[in-house]
Amino acid sequence: MKNIRKRNKWRSKAPAKTSQQSDGRQGAKMTKITQRDDGELDIIKKRVLVLSFVLVFFFGVLISRLWYLQVQKGEQFALLAENNRVRYVEVAAPRGNIFDRKGREIVTNRPSFNVVWSREDNRLDDQLLKKMARILDVDISVLLARIRKMENTPGHIPIRLADDIDWEKVAYIENNRLDLPGVKIEVVPLRVYHYDNLASHLIGYLGEINKKELKASKEGVYRGGDLVGKMGLEKIREFDLRGEKGRSYMEVNALGFEQKNLKGEEPLPGSDLQLTIDIDMQKIAEDIMTENDFAGAVVAVEVNSGRQLVLASAPTLQINEFVGGISHKAWNGMLENPHHPLLNKVVQGQYPPASTYKLVTAAAGLAEGVINSETVMYCPGHYRFGNRIYRCWKRAGHGAVNLEKAVAESCDVFFYQVGLRLGVDRLAEYAKKLGIGKKTGVEMEHEKGGLAPTSAWKKRRYNEVWQEGETLSVAIGQGFDLATPIQICMMTAAVANGGTLYKPMVIEKIFDSDGNLVSHKQPQVAQQFTGQGRNLRLIREGMKEAVNGRHGTGRAARLEGITVAGKTGTAQVVRLKQYKHLKEEDIPYKYRDHAWFTCFAPAENPKIAVTVLVEHGLHGGSAAAPVAKAVLEKYFEGSVKKMPEVSVVRLSRQEKELAAN
Amino acid sequence: MLRFDRRLIHHFDWVMLLMLFLVSGMALANLYSSTWNGGASPIFFKQLYFSLFGVALILALISFDYKELQTFGYIMYGGIIILLLYTDFFVQGTIAGTNRWINLGFFRLQPSEPAKLILVIVLASWYARHEAGSGYGFRKLLIPGLITVLPFCLILIQPDLGTALMLIILFCSISLLVRVRWSTVVILICLGLAGASIGYKFFLKDYQRKRIETFLHPESDPTNQGYQIMQSKIAVGSGQTLGKGFLEGTQGHLHFLPERHTDFAFSVWAEEWGFAGSVFFLSCYFFMLLWGINIAMGARDKFGVLLASGLVILIFWQTVINLFMIMGFLPVVGIPLPLFSYGGSSLLTTIVSIAILMNIRMRSSVIQK
Repeated sequence: MKNIRKRNKWRSKAPAKTSQQSDGRQGAKMTKITQRDDGELDIIKKRVLVLSFVLVFFFGVLISRLWYLQVQKGEQFALLAENNRVRYVEVAAPRGNIFDRKGREIVTNRPSFNVVWSREDNRLDDQLLKKMARILDVDISVLLARIRKMENTPGHIPIRLADDIDWEKVAYIENNRLDLPGVKIEVVPLRVYHYDNLASHLIGYLGEINKKELKASKEGVYRGGDLVGKMGLEKIREFDLRGEKGRSYMEVNALGFEQKNLKGEEPLPGSDLQLTIDIDMQKIAEDIMTENDFAGAVVAVEVNSGRQLVLASAPTLQINEFVGGISHKAWNGMLENPHHPLLNKVVQGQYPPASTYKLVTAAAGLAEGVINSETVMYCPGHYRFGNRIYRCWKRAGHGAVNLEKAVAESCDVFFYQVGLRLGVDRLAEYAKKLGIGKKTGVEMEHEKGGLAPTSAWKKRRYNEVWQEGETLSVAIGQGFDLATPIQICMMTAAVANGGTLYKPMVIEKIFDSDGNLVSHKQPQVAQQFTGQGRNLRLIREGMKEAVNGRHGTGRAARLEGITVAGKTGTAQVVRLKQYKHLKEEDIPYKYRDHAWFTCFAPAENPKIAVTVLVEHGLHGGSAAAPVAKAVLEKYFEGSVKKMPEVSVVRLSRQEKELAAN
Repeated sequence: MLRFDRRLIHHFDWVMLLMLFLVSGMALANLYSSTWNGGASPIFFKQLYFSLFGVALILALISFDYKELQTFGYIMYGGIIILLLYTDFFVQGTIAGTNRWINLGFFRLQPSEPAKLILVIVLASWYARHEAGSGYGFRKLLIPGLITVLPFCLILIQPDLGTALMLIILFCSISLLVRVRWSTVVILICLGLAGASIGYKFFLKDYQRKRIETFLHPESDPTNQGYQIMQSKIAVGSGQTLGKGFLEGTQGHLHFLPERHTDFAFSVWAEEWGFAGSVFFLSCYFFMLLWGINIAMGARDKFGVLLASGLVILIFWQTVINLFMIMGFLPVVGIPLPLFSYGGSSLLTTIVSIAILMNIRMRSSVIQK
């Protein structure tokens, strides 16, 4: 080679003509490798040599790039490849079920099918969007609005395009999944309310978690869009009910179709709650309240344990309105409703306890010894104190009254005097002992404590001295007195069981998802009203007379075969002269009196206490007592024959008047 | 025409054949994996038959003297122009809205592939026949320029910008081997730049302009062009040092890689065999190309040198462009990796190129003795 090149170099210097001449002298074989080319060939070969350097240079560039991508950044790209193929999927846990005391289902779950679109898997183009709108039978703007709402969330969270679609649509989407890349069906458990709005204030409802709740929760428990309890037991017992989400890592291909499950944990369903509530009784209570268009509360409790059998607030919440977020209009409608459906009247409604409070006054008087079973007072229909006249509800007066008769016929004059003898502070002390003016601690939200006023309280609250005259009002449950229906019920139960005030129980048992008993609640005594066995028996006799006696105020609650003992109450809302002479029906709804009835049964061996409050129901005996009777009837169903309906005609004029209080 | 010298057999280029077998073997193994679908795909067998046919073709192509191509090349040029015209104007576009293929029943011929090879032959022939003198000027470059521009235009309107530009690159590269006046080179570069910017503004189709824009701003279009490059880089990078193993690549098998058996075939290789496998492959490949340079250096005539180096240039540029695209240096252009990407036209064209190189090698050796 070297030799040739040297010669070529020399030749290239030679004039072209010479080389052409020599060309002719070459042999036949050499004709095509012409010597005149040699100079040019040399230059070309030099350049080809340069080309080989270019090749080596690019080879170096490629190897360096491979080194950079595969070795230096390899781990990062490996991670990206993993992210590409592995999808982290959260599987919602079925929420715990809620049963009644007999194990009947109140709230359970069913699978609902949602359409979600995974942003990582496919861009949602116009065409796909149009296709989805057609399949889901919604306007395209609805889908766009849902997408826009999720715009600022991380890309791995799928966007829900439709909730709870029907079977036909599920089948269509599954059959056409190849044409719908990135679109998936997500199965999510949905709440089923077997009795619609039954015990809605107690059970509550679910709603999408809000930002505040999300912030307050522990990391990883919730994510946006999750459903959490917003009210009632669903909220209070969220921890037990929610369970644990399942997590799985799915291998997917570029179209988002799942290839295999790499690893994962099954969701752990929430714990089941067995309530102390009896749905039959709850339903009867709610139905009667609804039929009569009553607003108010019905509470029933086992007197020897504090197990709540009925916790009804009327009107009930329309649970369906709350599912998927309540509309502004529906919310305002509830706020403006004179029956205040949003208020859980069992614990949030505070009313003057009226004549039901006379049980407290009687118990206090007996315990303090200011009266006894022999005490007799004269009722002329009014009581003069200072320069004022305090009337008894019965204008004609009750005549000579002992404790039993005073409770049975609800004589105001008798209790005015007991109150005066005790003084407001001693009265309040006993009210507290029977649970009035103190929260019961029932598992319901925003419970109110009621009020048992004292002179110190008035000083603190109004900076005024207690007036003796006010004690008279307080002694008959008016004035400053306030109580919630559940307080009156627990007080009645305490009177019935001989002085034990229980803490109300709502949950009997908690079972884990495998059906194992996790927790079995035991009755809890809140406080003991000791050494009052004899005194309370006297009061119970009076209550028995109130229902069963000829002149009793609560005769509408009588049951055949079961002796009911009770006390009526009529709570004044306002005392306005302008309404005094009107007929009751003509008084505007919101100024009408509240009706109370509280009772227990059987009188000889009390098992159940029932309290009914009907807002603006006018008279405890006529409005509230029949509701209590229906609840009792349900409770004793089977153990006694049903009592024939009492016809109105059979009631005497006197009885009617009695029933009015 | 056939003057077959028995001595030729002794000078058969076993090195080139070995490299061809090595690279084709890796290509077939990779194709087996990239089209694997619970079993070997028909695509794999199709390519296998093409490879075997190509090997048989080598025997035919080394039997005549490559110098015959100096005149025969023009006939082939005429033939390919007719085929391109036929493709452009008489074939109804089927694949991706482009007219690139002629359906022969058993085989869909893509005339733009052999067009590249034929252009190399014709340019080598033209430059070999015309003396450079003190260097080629404008007037002398006019004819090879026109020879290039004619198929360029016909391929451009298919439309196949990548292959069309490949012709321009071949013309420039080969012309740089011969002596062209420097002033002419400078002026041509200026004209070329001006032409490119005008072409970009007025003649490019929207999708072509988008490809270039996406390359410059990959984040603006994460799911299409930029997505492909990104997925390719992820595939290559995630192979790391030793790779994920044969048939174990997730990017390819789960379809994240686009065109994984054609333009992006090397991504699959890099993912499954890692840095080690990639370096091995590239070493074989570049050794093969350097062997081609060696053949060019050994050739005794101007045509032989120009033809051999032109063929190396043809394979080399396609390789570099394809690998640069795969590794994220270039936008998506439809240039396959010769011998490695699936496609009969490209495979046969490359095997023919290598057979011609072997032909040149044999005859240079014989003459040297």
